[in-house]
Amino acid sequence: MRKTTTMILSLLVGLSLVLSACGPAATTAAPTTAPTTAPEPTEAPEATAEPTAEEPTEVPPTPTLTPYPIATCEAGKTCVRWFVGLGTGTDPAQITIQEGVVNDFNSSQDTIQLILEVVPHAAGRDTLSTEIASGNGPDIVGPVGWAGSNDFFGQWLDIAPLIKSSGFDTSIFDPALANSYQVEGQGQVGLPFAVFPGGIFFVPSMFDEAELAYPPQKYGDKYELDGAQVDWNWDTVTEVAKRLTIDVNGKNATEEGFDKTQIAQVGYNAQWQSAESVATFYGGAALKYTGDAPGEYKVDITDGWKEAWQWYYDGMWGDQPFIANGPLAGSPEFGGGNVFNSGKAAMGLTQTWYTCCLGDLAKTTEWQVGIIPAMADGKVSGRIDADTFRVWKGTPNPEAAFEVLAYLITDGADKLLPTYGAMPAVASKTEAFFNAKKEQYPTVSQESWDVFVQGLAYPDSPSAESWAPSPIESSARVGTFKSLMETTPPDQFDFDAEFQKLLDDLQAIYDKAQ
Amino acid sequence: MLEQLRDFSKLVPSISSIRRLTPLARREMVWGVGFLSPWIIGFLAFTFLPIIFTFIFTFMNLNITDGLLSMLSPSKYVGFDNYATYFKDPQIWSSATTPGSWLITIRFGLIALPIGIFLPLGLALLLNNKHLKGQSIFRSLFYMPFIVPFVAAIFIWGGMLNSETGWINRALVWLGVPKANTPLWANDVHWVYPTYVIMGLWGIGNAILIMLAGLQSIPTELYDAAKVDGANGLGTFWNVTRPMISPVIFYNLVLGVVGLFQYFLFPLVVNNGNGNPAGATMFYNLYLYKTFFTYQNMSYGATMAWGLFVVILIVTILLFATAKYWVYYAGETRS
Repeated sequence: MRKTTTMILSLLVGLSLVLSACGPAATTAAPTTAPTTAPEPTEAPEATAEPTAEEPTEVPPTPTLTPYPIATCEAGKTCVRWFVGLGTGTDPAQITIQEGVVNDFNSSQDTIQLILEVVPHAAGRDTLSTEIASGNGPDIVGPVGWAGSNDFFGQWLDIAPLIKSSGFDTSIFDPALANSYQVEGQGQVGLPFAVFPGGIFFVPSMFDEAELAYPPQKYGDKYELDGAQVDWNWDTVTEVAKRLTIDVNGKNATEEGFDKTQIAQVGYNAQWQSAESVATFYGGAALKYTGDAPGEYKVDITDGWKEAWQWYYDGMWGDQPFIANGPLAGSPEFGGGNVFNSGKAAMGLTQTWYTCCLGDLAKTTEWQVGIIPAMADGKVSGRIDADTFRVWKGTPNPEAAFEVLAYLITDGADKLLPTYGAMPAVASKTEAFFNAKKEQYPTVSQESWDVFVQGLAYPDSPSAESWAPSPIESSARVGTFKSLMETTPPDQFDFDAEFQKLLDDLQAIYDKAQ
Repeated sequence: MLEQLRDFSKLVPSISSIRRLTPLARREMVWGVGFLSPWIIGFLAFTFLPIIFTFIFTFMNLNITDGLLSMLSPSKYVGFDNYATYFKDPQIWSSATTPGSWLITIRFGLIALPIGIFLPLGLALLLNNKHLKGQSIFRSLFYMPFIVPFVAAIFIWGGMLNSETGWINRALVWLGVPKANTPLWANDVHWVYPTYVIMGLWGIGNAILIMLAGLQSIPTELYDAAKVDGANGLGTFWNVTRPMISPVIFYNLVLGVVGLFQYFLFPLVVNNGNGNPAGATMFYNLYLYKTFFTYQNMSYGATMAWGLFVVILIVTILLFATAKYWVYYAGETRS
């Protein structure tokens, strides 16, 4: 009897140990500490690519119903998990390419096994949070930009010692670009991989139909409007966009009798741009706060940003709208958020990463790229997103993880960059990138591709995705404001009151920062 | 309820009663516990311990990316700070410009709960009517939407109710409603709750089925007796049907109330979880989710979870306390 009891109890203890092992475990990784100071704005472009709708309008991204099958770790190998889901890389075509890169790496040596883990972008942050919280974080995370990285501030490994011990040659990068990944108090938390300058994507046939000149393709060039040479600035874009916004009766937004409730084509769309991004293009680069330490942070939204958002709202809901409002942009007819690709927008402001997602449009329609308009002061406020891979601080295999990271940003980059729509951070790879893009989009002219090269001279500094106190919550609050603008008509929306409420809420959020 | 608890306590054997067991009975008990152990261990590991941990978290300042080892750090303990924040949080308790999450939840409940209880009852009564031809077809039709995956149904509804291109608004325009007067549905602070209710009604097949089962379990003799006594249709419903299915209504009510406080997926999927329009959809459970996962504030999220638990507990106790006045169980005698 006693023997049986002992046996059952032992069985119970054994089972509970197994179950406990399967449950959340304590991590040995250094815990996250909330940033006490904002990271230094870098000279080099810094930002993230978001080829998925960061602020989806009405129809959210379709959830993936089946989880990505994760390979099992082979015995005797050091396994390195590569997490994709914080930025680009979750599109089916991209997954296929990434799987190819994984296979290439795994077949190139026999000590490390690289395992791909893809999570839909909408669930990426939550999934990574949960994995890290349970001590089961991935070794490599990316591609991820600054905004995605800021969400996990303090979780990235300082790879400077690994760079030194492995002898990795960092001279292949622009020093300023490499230094931009040095974060005060955290070390070298990444290396350059991809940059995404912006431009105005446009459909020439729509301009032809409206008898309008195409957007200029060299910074400094004028635009011809009604026979006059005018600056290519936001006023000009607004006027042109209105004339390119057509209702179901064929009238444009400037014509009498235009039916703004039945828009068939819009003139302009800020394609998958955050509120901060919209404001930066229109009103100049700026931080959302002042102060250097918790308790001292104050909300600081510039007048330029406020004007930008007012302009954006009027563009959707004014008497002569030229931007698709939320419900319209979210409708299937307008691409469920991917408006420019739906062929219902004449111009789309976005970055090179958007070349990932133009498959449908490119089948039937020629598109080209023009320069970014100047602000009221005549200066151009561009935006350059930048993505890279990060090593999680809690990785049990830092050397192996760095070896993988080095592979991804060098040899693996040849396949990854084109599928991410990213310009290489390594200058020697630029030509190969554009060759791949030309093959993908043969009708896009050299002048259009050159717009992106010129765009490298117009980074946003500080980045539109710079750290702010309580970064996730404050960023979400600004996103909510943008969503409110997109979905609320003027009879229910008091811009000044909502803007003031945004400031108040942001201050309350900043006050919580530690 | 206290009586029920006292009855339950009799089922739990005391140490002395175990000692009094015969060797055979004791062996059987050990085997019984052994067979139950997977559930017990699962409950302890995945339910009980997390509950305890979340309670501890409420006294800490823990981020979701902090490891559990940080629980050992005294600097992480902040006393009752999270509770103090909780009782001052304007998102929970409303402010001059923001409706609080509790208010939002209750406001929506006042619309959704009565409809969610009485519409299935009404439909079940119709489906149970002996004069209805093709009962099984109607039952299948009413139940079928319930098996449509939830998120898929929401996407379909989202398309139908799109204020710019949805066919419902197009139909309204076709019927003569000016385009400017058509509802913005989920984007209008006045229409968003009715929109959620309409979407929610799509899946009431299960509640109908439960009500129907309750109706069909009523002995026909009672209806015969009521008929003999001269009761008309309304009198029969009030004096026979209502009390006999009151346990089923009570069951649906309790589930409905608990479900209301946990209301989450509709605002998350339809309005992207951002609380729009004008903060009207920042339901309590959604705010909890965002605090925990999006803002990664594990401690404050845990505090909110305990706040939710306490409120649900109180409301459920109140419901059970009222049950003796209106819920009738067969075989029960009342003075």
